[in-house]
Amino acid sequence: MSYAYLFKYIIIGDTGVGKSCLLLQFTDKRFQPVHDLTIGVEFGARMITIDGKQIKLQIWDTAGQEAFRSITRSYYRGAAGALLVYDITRRETFNHLTTWLEDARQHSNSNMVIMLIGNKSDLDSRREVKKEEGEAFAREHGLVFMETSARTAANVEEAFINTAKEIYEKIQEGVFDINNEANGIKIGPQASPTNPSLPGSGGAAGAANSGCC
Amino acid sequence: MEFLKSGIKTVLGSTEPGQQPSAAETVEKLVDRVYSSTLLEDRRDACRALKALSRKYRIEVGAQGMPPLVQVLQNDGQDAEIISYALDTLCNIVTSEEFDEEADNPTVSVNVGEQFTEMFIKTPENVSLVMGYLEEYDFRVRRAAIQLITSLIANKTRELQELVLVSPMGVSKLMDLLTDSREVIRNDVLLLLIELTKGNSNIQKIVAFENAFDRLFDIVHDEGCSDGGIVVEDCLILLLNLLKNNSSNQQFFKEGSYIQRLAPMFVLASDVEETGWTPQKVSNFHCMLQVVRALVTPSNQQQVVTACQRVMQKSQLLQGLCDILMSSGVPADILTETINAVAEVVRGDHENQDELSHVMAPSSPPRPAIVVLLMSMINEKQLLALRSAVLYCFECFLYRNPDGQRAVVQTLLPSSTTDVSSLSTGQLLCTGLFSSDTLANWFSAVAIMHTLVDNVALKEELLRVLLATPGGHRPITLLEQCTNLMQQERYRLQSKVGLLMLLSVWLAHCPGAVKALLETQGTMAYLTAQLCANEHDEREYLVQGMCAFLMGLCIQFNDNSLPNQRREDISQLIIKRIGQETFCNKLSEVSRHEAYSRACKQAQIRAKSAGELLLDYEYCKLYKGLEALIAKLVSGFDVDGIELTELTLSSEASALVAQYKGIIRGMDAQIQQLQQSVKELEQQNGEIKQQLGQEQALKSQVSDQITLLKAQLLAATSGTGQTPAPGTTTNNEEELNAARYQTNMYFAENIRLTKELETLRQQLQAEKQRADDASQALKSTQKDQEDLLELLADQEAKIARYEEQLPTTTIATPSAGSESETTTAATNPMPQPTSLIPTNPIEAAPETESNR
Ligand SMILES: Nc1nc2c(ncn2[C@@H]2O[C@H](COP(=O)(O)OP(=O)(O)O)[C@@H](O)[C@H]2O)c(=O)[nH]1
Ligand SMILES: [Mg+2]
Repeated sequence: MSYAYLFKYIIIGDTGVGKSCLLLQFTDKRFQPVHDLTIGVEFGARMITIDGKQIKLQIWDTAGQEAFRSITRSYYRGAAGALLVYDITRRETFNHLTTWLEDARQHSNSNMVIMLIGNKSDLDSRREVKKEEGEAFAREHGLVFMETSARTAANVEEAFINTAKEIYEKIQEGVFDINNEANGIKIGPQASPTNPSLPGSGGAAGAANSGCC
Repeated sequence: MEFLKSGIKTVLGSTEPGQQPSAAETVEKLVDRVYSSTLLEDRRDACRALKALSRKYRIEVGAQGMPPLVQVLQNDGQDAEIISYALDTLCNIVTSEEFDEEADNPTVSVNVGEQFTEMFIKTPENVSLVMGYLEEYDFRVRRAAIQLITSLIANKTRELQELVLVSPMGVSKLMDLLTDSREVIRNDVLLLLIELTKGNSNIQKIVAFENAFDRLFDIVHDEGCSDGGIVVEDCLILLLNLLKNNSSNQQFFKEGSYIQRLAPMFVLASDVEETGWTPQKVSNFHCMLQVVRALVTPSNQQQVVTACQRVMQKSQLLQGLCDILMSSGVPADILTETINAVAEVVRGDHENQDELSHVMAPSSPPRPAIVVLLMSMINEKQLLALRSAVLYCFECFLYRNPDGQRAVVQTLLPSSTTDVSSLSTGQLLCTGLFSSDTLANWFSAVAIMHTLVDNVALKEELLRVLLATPGGHRPITLLEQCTNLMQQERYRLQSKVGLLMLLSVWLAHCPGAVKALLETQGTMAYLTAQLCANEHDEREYLVQGMCAFLMGLCIQFNDNSLPNQRREDISQLIIKRIGQETFCNKLSEVSRHEAYSRACKQAQIRAKSAGELLLDYEYCKLYKGLEALIAKLVSGFDVDGIELTELTLSSEASALVAQYKGIIRGMDAQIQQLQQSVKELEQQNGEIKQQLGQEQALKSQVSDQITLLKAQLLAATSGTGQTPAPGTTTNNEEELNAARYQTNMYFAENIRLTKELETLRQQLQAEKQRADDASQALKSTQKDQEDLLELLADQEAKIARYEEQLPTTTIATPSAGSESETTTAATNPMPQPTSLIPTNPIEAAPETESNR
């Protein structure tokens, strides 16, 4: 299971918007109608392919409640991508986006790719937030936007993969410092030019480099 | 006033002659200096003095010094030295460690550090203040801050964890310190993180998210893995904290391929026997094994366990563990823990169980590792922990492993073809069962019991096992021998408990075994006697309860095939000899015993002393499932042997049940068939899809070629029919054919165009004809006109002539002539030549001509 890159993601947004379901749909390809409330943070992972390269996504699903907010904040810094989710059938979850975004921008590294997601697109009859509103918000704040359904799986793959594409492009452009693991990006063992007997790549890299250069 | 005076005196450095100030007074003076001195040097000296005093006079310094020290932290941030004194002093005050200097001070109670901790953190800002100094790069400051926080957490773990969590990026900042290039700092941070992560899964997850696994493995490798010093142990303890009972981190660990980094650490160096196992290496290894177990322990989420077990096999971690099992010179506690780890790595995973079954010990003759392990289990001289571990390992090996269970039972069957000279698992277990060592009896009984769990077929098979008896008497069955042993006085309680568990599991869901037991001599009488006995020992109560349970099973799974031993016969026995209520009371003794709750807790066998080994996890599971049923069943019979409860079914109901069972079986078979066909269809589908893919690939290749050929043809034709270069003519037949086809097409097109041209020519001809005709007509018309003009001129001449003759004629016809003239003038006022033309029948034609 070697990979070219590893990206760390977080999923944020109000409680009940479907963050855990989105993760489950993406990692296990199934929907769980009755889902436990996420306590703190849960982890999930999956491999995807972009540009013919294997990319490992490690995803941390956070709890939306205010009580866990300070815990959630600890995850921004080390993430390369964030899925900011609201529920198209509950306007208040859309109204809270600004707060979420402020929080994310304040605590994350400036290159973090944020994908805005309007979830539960299958419940169109109960829609409270128009698609255009989501698009406008995304445009205004420089986010990528997509409507998804964790239930029908519509656009779920795309949401995760497009975020990865964005990050990948940023790497190609040299925007991300891929040697700094704190950015939520890791080079895979196969792509890494370093001697495999020196497993230290990130933090120990400084010492290793000075040693060999 | 007095206070002020002495304060000044201290600042000035003089003391009252002959009078030693008390510690409290000295501290008071120093505190005052810290508060009031305007000179940094003075405050610094006072802090240094407080630090020196804090070890011997902790209470005095703690009681008065906290506020001024906090004030220093607030105001003197620029001076690293004073800050480090303040932090060190606070650290001495709050630590739970007892200093040598205060050993003879009776006022220092054990929890004085905890009390000062409480005081300090009552103001949460104090903690933030200290956390802030973590970012100070100065060695003394950073280190003192780390140590102070570590002490605070150790004393008030929960409170500090909450404070760190709400402090912005608190955990992340602490994690950053792990990359400090100064080893002392890094090592102190490890200790801090060990305290911080204890029992708090949110902090554990953040620490893991901040790349802790990478950092820790880097350090462990740099420090020489299991041969490394205490830092390696610290890393492993932290790793253990992060993984224990934290499924999110366990998943992350597995997904992040860290098991693959752990696996090579279990490969023992070839010279380990010479270099030996240092105490540090033993500690490190112990932690490594704990880490493995934290990932696959049965209480974890099943999917995590399964996933980790797979990786542990693929990464050869399991193999490494098995190698350790079979190598010599391994310290006993490492060996024991390795056996426990192997147990959990193989539990319920068929491939891993298979791998374990194939491990051979390097003995002569070579024996399967499992046999060697069982030899240790029944060996009286081995340590209790090791023997317990072997049983656990054997249980895990058999767990959900019908093949493994069968293989063990097979070695006991008469048809068994195994070499008599080689020891088999079955033989070993029987040896243990009949040995004079009580523990060997218990271990063996439980081990055999586990070959039967959830396997009715093997329960039937095991009934066929025959044992030779000394003195050439007829051989007896294993079950019979078990009942005999149970009734023997010399067979001790612990052994009996083992046998009762074995028999219970054997009988459950197996009418054949019930029948076999009922046919043995004296067993029912023995059980009845046990239940009637008036025992006072708590452990005897347990045996009574187990006997009751066994009797209950004889009712529950009785197929009524033995006359006088049918369900109602046995219940009559209970009613008349024991009493229903007594029976139910005794039955519940099992779940009331402390051994029961102990065994229910986990699959692993944990016993501090041999006497604690009584009940087994699987037996308790069975008991839990059937206790209520049996109690209800027994109390449901009335004195005449009629079953009253709904649990006993009428014959119609039984028939119905049988019918439904048949239907369910049929449906089961159907489902299996369908599943089979689904599998086949899926396979077919896959094949077809593959074929389709191939076809599509071929198709796109062909169409690419066609496009290419077209382009070539186009190039060829536009080259005005030049013959293509020799290179191109060497193209294959197919291309030629395509070219021919193209040529034919153009040929046909050419013909079509020629035809069309012909038609057009004909059309043109026809048009010309028509045009000629038209011009002909025009010419004749012109001629007509000329003729007419000539005629007209003629007429005019005639008219002139007539006009000359007019006077005579006018007199002759005056009315007609005048009338005609006026009419003409009225209708045609324009002076036109034609208008002048007299209305004469002969001149009618030219008039029509001009009107046209
Ligand atoms: N109809 C529908 N329901 C959804 C969808 N996603 C999540 N849900 C439901 O919304 C509820 C909350 O989902 P959950 O994933 O726990 O939300 P979280 O708090 O953001 O993690 C659950 O009852 C889900 O079944 C979706 O796309 N469509
Ligand atoms: Mg959730």
